[in-house]
Amino acid sequence: MTTPGLDDATAELLAGSLREVLAEGGDLTAALAELGWADVLADDPARATTLLFTEHGRALAHSRVLDDVLLAELAGGLPAATGPRALLYPLHSDHPADPRGPLTGLLLGGLDGIAEVVVPTALDPADAGDTAGATLRILPADLVAAAAQPVRGFDTAAGWLTVSAAPAGPAGPATPAGDAWTRAVAAGRRALAAEIIGGCEAALAIAVAHTSARVQYGRSIATFQAVRHRLAEAHVAVESLRSELTVAWGSAGQADGGAWAARLVKLRAGLAQAEVMRHAVQVCGAMGLSLESELHRFVARTAALDLLLGDHRTLAEQLGTELLAGAELEPVVAI
Amino acid sequence: MTTTAATTTTAAEAAVTDPAVLRDDLDAYARGLRAWLASEPALDRWRGRHYPNTEERIADHGLLMGVLFRAGWNRYGWPESAGGLGGDERHRAVLYDGLAAAGLPIPAPHLMLETLGPPVVHFAPELAAAYLPAYLRGEEWWGQGFSEPEAGSDLASLRCRARREGDTYILSGSKLWTSHGATSSRLVCLVRTGTPESRHRGLSMIMLDADTPGVTIRPIALASGENELAEVFFDDAVVPASNLVGDEGKGWAVAMYLLQWERAMYAWLSAADALRRLRDLRGQVATRLAAGARLPDGSAARLGSVYEQIIALRARSAGTVRRLAAGDTVGPEASVDKVLLATVEISLFDLARDLLGTEFVLGATDEVRAWRNEWWFSRSATILGGSAEVQRTIIADHVLGLPKEAK
Repeated sequence: MTTPGLDDATAELLAGSLREVLAEGGDLTAALAELGWADVLADDPARATTLLFTEHGRALAHSRVLDDVLLAELAGGLPAATGPRALLYPLHSDHPADPRGPLTGLLLGGLDGIAEVVVPTALDPADAGDTAGATLRILPADLVAAAAQPVRGFDTAAGWLTVSAAPAGPAGPATPAGDAWTRAVAAGRRALAAEIIGGCEAALAIAVAHTSARVQYGRSIATFQAVRHRLAEAHVAVESLRSELTVAWGSAGQADGGAWAARLVKLRAGLAQAEVMRHAVQVCGAMGLSLESELHRFVARTAALDLLLGDHRTLAEQLGTELLAGAELEPVVAI
Repeated sequence: MTTTAATTTTAAEAAVTDPAVLRDDLDAYARGLRAWLASEPALDRWRGRHYPNTEERIADHGLLMGVLFRAGWNRYGWPESAGGLGGDERHRAVLYDGLAAAGLPIPAPHLMLETLGPPVVHFAPELAAAYLPAYLRGEEWWGQGFSEPEAGSDLASLRCRARREGDTYILSGSKLWTSHGATSSRLVCLVRTGTPESRHRGLSMIMLDADTPGVTIRPIALASGENELAEVFFDDAVVPASNLVGDEGKGWAVAMYLLQWERAMYAWLSAADALRRLRDLRGQVATRLAAGARLPDGSAARLGSVYEQIIALRARSAGTVRRLAAGDTVGPEASVDKVLLATVEISLFDLARDLLGTEFVLGATDEVRAWRNEWWFSRSATILGGSAEVQRTIIADHVLGLPKEAK
């Protein structure tokens, strides 16, 4: 690559720093500021974002850095912020909520210190569930907080909250989002794909280490073809995701933020985590099912990340429906 | 209904014809190619064409190569010394992509050209100078003799012997599963020049004319009835020693060199063609839907998923093609490309089978017969060129570094 940006050595150093910061588990936003992350991001958004989210996934971190990615795309069309903002994510794929309310959605963390919540809603109530027209509303954080519940689902460690029935009435003036919501979703999907790579790599490393060390019939179980081939398939899943993410970044500068390729890579990320986790759980045996093994954390986390901004089953169906209706079979990748 | 991706081109785009510019400027080559593919009326006879059998198909594809050669387009990516116009693998990749996007088949002889061309150019430039120009013109193509009745996945156990006598080698033994074997003018074979126990150390690569006395070729029909493969028998066939591709005893290294293209270029080429066939399938399904047909449950998701798999294969494979073009050695990680390729082939043609439904099983049209033939051929994606099992073992051994399988 001839484009300016992060070289390998700098990226490796940054990855090391990120790992330390994430392992400490303190305030990620403050730690990133100390690292001069804004400059790194401006210099090489693709590599910086992929690096940050891959490490975030590997570390099973929970933070609101994904909000920053989406809000950066949305900010241009919004009135000046009165304080720190959070984003309310749609519960289902990228479908903005019905503006008639009550508003529902997901928050990536509690709202302490947050002043306002940006809520994408459908432009026209009749279009609820349609991505075409989104409008952005701003709600006071305390109103949303009152309707928020910690997620007690598959992944209990993500720190997410579900919002049910936040009143739509007092939402501030609606700002038509234009392409901004589409761009924000695309950027979010690329970041999530990187986070899923991190989670998959960590799970695969656990499975490789376990099967190499675990001895049965007098030899390590990684010498059995059935085990080796599952691990090889998991590797293929991760590598194909990595290539497709690179391709998805190639169209990020388009007016719609590279939405088509970003949806594809989110679909692939969802498939990859399903495949990697299925194989990893099997080859780790009962140990992989135990609470004391780390593996279940990656199973649950990547499942949650798959859900956010569109799970792979929904995206495949949506894509196929559009193709059947005549959408162009874009080649996406050029030499 | 075949939907071609119509590309609007301006006169300015089509204007560049200087070979030096097309060689050095890949974008100019891509633009020029697209403009030509969209405007050359002679190409129409290869669009949506069906053939009564594989022999006629490959012969007609040879004619298409002739058209491409005369216009220059399939000469880029090959050295001038071998009939080409210079450039690298990326030119070839752009050609395959361009053909598929224009609703044209990628000429079948290009499959083996991608596998056998690079090692012959690299290890035997005189042979490349002598024979590759005719290959590029579509006047001849070559078969690859690797597998044998008793050496499949375990290639290093092959037994077909080449005994040195003066300036010649005397070949005896047989080769099996040779693609395009029945119609090839020349064969490139991996043979044993060392002791029977020498495994991969005692092998050599050699090219020979298919009509050499002592060579008998028996076509092998796939279950579709198409003679896709062949068995080749050598009964003291005399081959000039100057036909060696690489040094005697270095055949394994030549084979490993060759695998880089077999895995990478073939994957890209197949992905380009898969996208064309998915477009065809979508068109046929749309016609059925318009006529009131119903698709099985889950069809939309499967269609979306197959399309995405093709894009993932393209994403992976484009990176590998660029690495080859940059002169990098592509090692065991190319098995990832091959696994993705096989997955695409299997899912695409299973989808076609399921969406065509009753028609796939009972239909007699040329169109449906082509889908059935290709369905059978797609099953070979997990077998030929290193089986699915071999690829996974390579990844486990050399990429993941797992402890070796017990012997």
